[in-house]
Formats: sequence, C-alpha cells, structure tokens
Amino acid sequence: MTEHRIGTQEEWQKERDALLEQEKELTRRNDELTRKRLELPWVPVENDYSFETADGTKSLAELFDGRSQLLIYHFMFGDPYVAGCTVCSSIADTLDPQVPHLKARDVTLMCTSRAPLDRLLAYRDRMGWSFNWASTVGSDFHRDLGFVNTEEELKPFLEGDIPPAVEQMAERSGTDVAGYVAEGPGLSAYALEDGTVYRTYVSTARGLEPAMAYYGLLDRTPRGRHEEGEQSHWLRRHDEYGAA
Amino acid sequence: MPEHEVGTREGWLAARRELLDAEKEHMRQGDELARRRERLPWVPVEKEYAFETNEGRKTLADLFDGRSQLLVYHFMFGFGFRVDEQNPGCTGCSFVADHFDAVIPHLNGHDVTLVAESIAPLEELHPYKQRMGWGFPWVSSLGSDFKYDFGAAFTEEQQTNGAEYNFKHVDQPPWPQREGLSAFAIQDGVVHHTYSTYDRGTEQLIGTYRYLDVAPLGRNEDGPASWWHRHDEYEEVAR
Repeated sequence: MTEHRIGTQEEWQKERDALLEQEKELTRRNDELTRKRLELPWVPVENDYSFETADGTKSLAELFDGRSQLLIYHFMFGDPYVAGCTVCSSIADTLDPQVPHLKARDVTLMCTSRAPLDRLLAYRDRMGWSFNWASTVGSDFHRDLGFVNTEEELKPFLEGDIPPAVEQMAERSGTDVAGYVAEGPGLSAYALEDGTVYRTYVSTARGLEPAMAYYGLLDRTPRGRHEEGEQSHWLRRHDEYGAA
Repeated sequence: MPEHEVGTREGWLAARRELLDAEKEHMRQGDELARRRERLPWVPVEKEYAFETNEGRKTLADLFDGRSQLLVYHFMFGFGFRVDEQNPGCTGCSFVADHFDAVIPHLNGHDVTLVAESIAPLEELHPYKQRMGWGFPWVSSLGSDFKYDFGAAFTEEQQTNGAEYNFKHVDQPPWPQREGLSAFAIQDGVVHHTYSTYDRGTEQLIGTYRYLDVAPLGRNEDGPASWWHRHDEYEEVAR
C-alpha cells in the first residue's frame, strides 16, 4: 500500500475549503439538472403492456398503484439466468427502506424483469426484499426501452475482448456472457394523468450510479472506489460476502 | 391533457440527448471531486476518544472493526431540533439512517466500516433503533468531545459566542447539534482524519433524493425537510 500524504490540520483545512466550493457547485449543478429533467416533454405510452405481478396481470397504468408517478428499475434477470444480476441486486438492496419516503412524495418504485414471475419471487425471498417486482413475460416493455439486446446486435461485442468483470457477472448469474448481456439495466419514469400514462425519463449505464448508494459513500472514504484496474469486481450479493 | 408539455418520441429524444450530455459532464465533475477528496492530506488524530458500544467501551481505532477505513455519521439524538421525548431521533437523521443497512454489506466487503454516533446513553439509542428496525452499529459518544471536535455539536459557550459549521463561521449557532459525516483511515495503528462533510453534503447519503431527482415531479418540496417524516409516521400524517 502506498503511503498517503500526512498533513497538519491547517493544511487539510485549506484544501478542504477549496474542495467545498467545488462540492457546492456540483450540488447546485445537480439541482439545475433536476430542473432540466422536469422540463422534458412527456410522451404518451401508446403500447398496451401487460405485467405478471403477485396480484395478477396488470397494465402499466395499474402499476402506479394509486399514485401519480411511477419509477421502474429494469432489473437484469432474463430467462437463462439462475439468479438475478449481482449489480442490480446491490441496487435492489436499497429499495425497501426508501419506499415509504417515496410514497410520501406520491411516487411508486418497483422493479420489472423478463424472467417468469415465480423465479423473480423466489429470488426476492432469498434476498429478503419486499418491493413489488413484475415479470414482463410476453411483452416488449424492456425491448422498447432499449434494455434487451438481440444476438445480432451483440455480435460485435461477443466477438471482441470480453471484460473479465462481465464474464464473472455472467457466471454469478448462472448464465453465459451472451445470455447475461442480452439484458440491459435501466431506470424509467412515468406520470399518470387523466388515465393516460406518459413516459418522462429513461436512463442507463452510469446514469444508474446514483442508485448504487454505496458509491456515494465510497467517494467520501480515504481510498475512494478503489476498483480501477482490478481484474475481479469486488461487488457480491449481500449474502455472499465472506463466502469462500 | 396534462398542464405539462406533451411531446413526440422524437422531440423527447432530442431533449433527452442534450440533457444526457449535461448529465455526463456532471458525472465526470463528480469523479474529479472524488479524486480530489482522495488527495486531501490525512491528519493524525492525536486525542483519545471513548465510545460506549454493544460490545463495551471502545476507542476510535476499535470502531474500524478490523477494516482500514471508517465512516462515522453524526446522528442528532436526544436534544436540539426535530426531536421530542417520544421521538428522540432527529427526523432528517432518521431519513438518512434508513439508507444505511442496505449498503453496509457492500461497504464492509470493500474494507469500509460505517457507524453512527450520538451524544446519548446506549440505553436511549436502543429502543429507538428497535422501533426503526435498524441493524447498523450505533455507538454512544456521551462524555466525549468527539462530535464537538468534528464540528457537529456546539457547546453553550459556542452557541453564544460563535462556532464553525460546514467550514464557515456562524455568529450564534441556533442549534446544539447538526448532521455530518466524517471519514477516517487507520494505518500502522494510527488513526487519521481524512474528510468531513455537513449540511447538503450529507444529501449524498439520501438515496431517495436520487430517485426523486428523476421522477416526473422532481423533489416537489418547499425546501428540504418540509415533508420528511420518520418512516413509520407517514400513514399517521396522511390520515
């Protein structure tokens, strides 16, 4: 381990003060982005999607569960998966405690995946979660948002150098790389007004990092994320840490 | 039709792409700040602090629990604002703490220990922790200068004559405590203070805001804290 620079309280304070100004600027910039998101036009969702849920088949409008806003985390759990994606699982870990606070802001938060419902619910039991999780079986919901990749689309990726982390994640979900990356992660937001559902926002890739709450904390630790150049990704399911 | 602008898929996509560029820039600025945080000098902690924990009395070095990095959340409990006898834990800190248990296995798996500390006896923290259903380690700093020295509590003298909060002088801080997060590293048995953040700096710990920031109506609040409640109080409020 490299020796870190040791300083006096005064040296630290001087650098911390300069950093604080930049942190404040970043916070204000985030407020501005939030305002810009609010200005995005709403697009009516024309397709009739149906979802399998623990309470039977539901439409997209019914997923709002009586509230005016809906946030859906698109959890990577396709048919060939034996267990849900490890990274998505780390996001899902954080959902339950947030649900009461989001409900208070008139927001329903839930997950959807392409695997059959009984497998989603069995995995939910294993992980000890209780948020609503719907299966999109038989609907193009994920595909229409760009969160499903066909074999054809994946060909260039699969024929290239596969990052070791992707191979590891695929293995941990009990599938091969092609099966694993057929699914993509994402977050989508909807508003319901006068019976019409509008899509308001969609994000993916690093746009999902804010949902990985541990990164916000790691970014404030002495060694930061400390994962660049690592051959093996450190992340595990919460019940797998410490297992050999 | 909603009052909000309704657009076509193409119109939305064009606006979304423009926003994406701004989001990416913001993300990269965040990465740069994270690198700058890592470059801050480490300051050795010379003073001895003692904490009461479920496993007995511990030093700051003991709180690392075998890991090399420690995050301490300064939780406002027992006195100050947003508390009363029935609800001794601050509403805002309780909202923050609702996010802890889910991230702890991942932080621990990456060599980071997260604990909360409050100026209150353990036997007062326990019933509240049980009511909230929390599992994270919560230690008592009662009788120690810890929270004062790391800028999240203020003596009566400071409340009259002035103190620093969030690295800024406040003439007469109207609060005996405030929220904050401090980070420490241990190396060769020496504890170093590496970072502290306060006020809106702790918003990073409130994952719920990350979701509200992408919801159709955004945060939809008249200033932060206007709608916060303890997670078991919302139904009562709605009635």
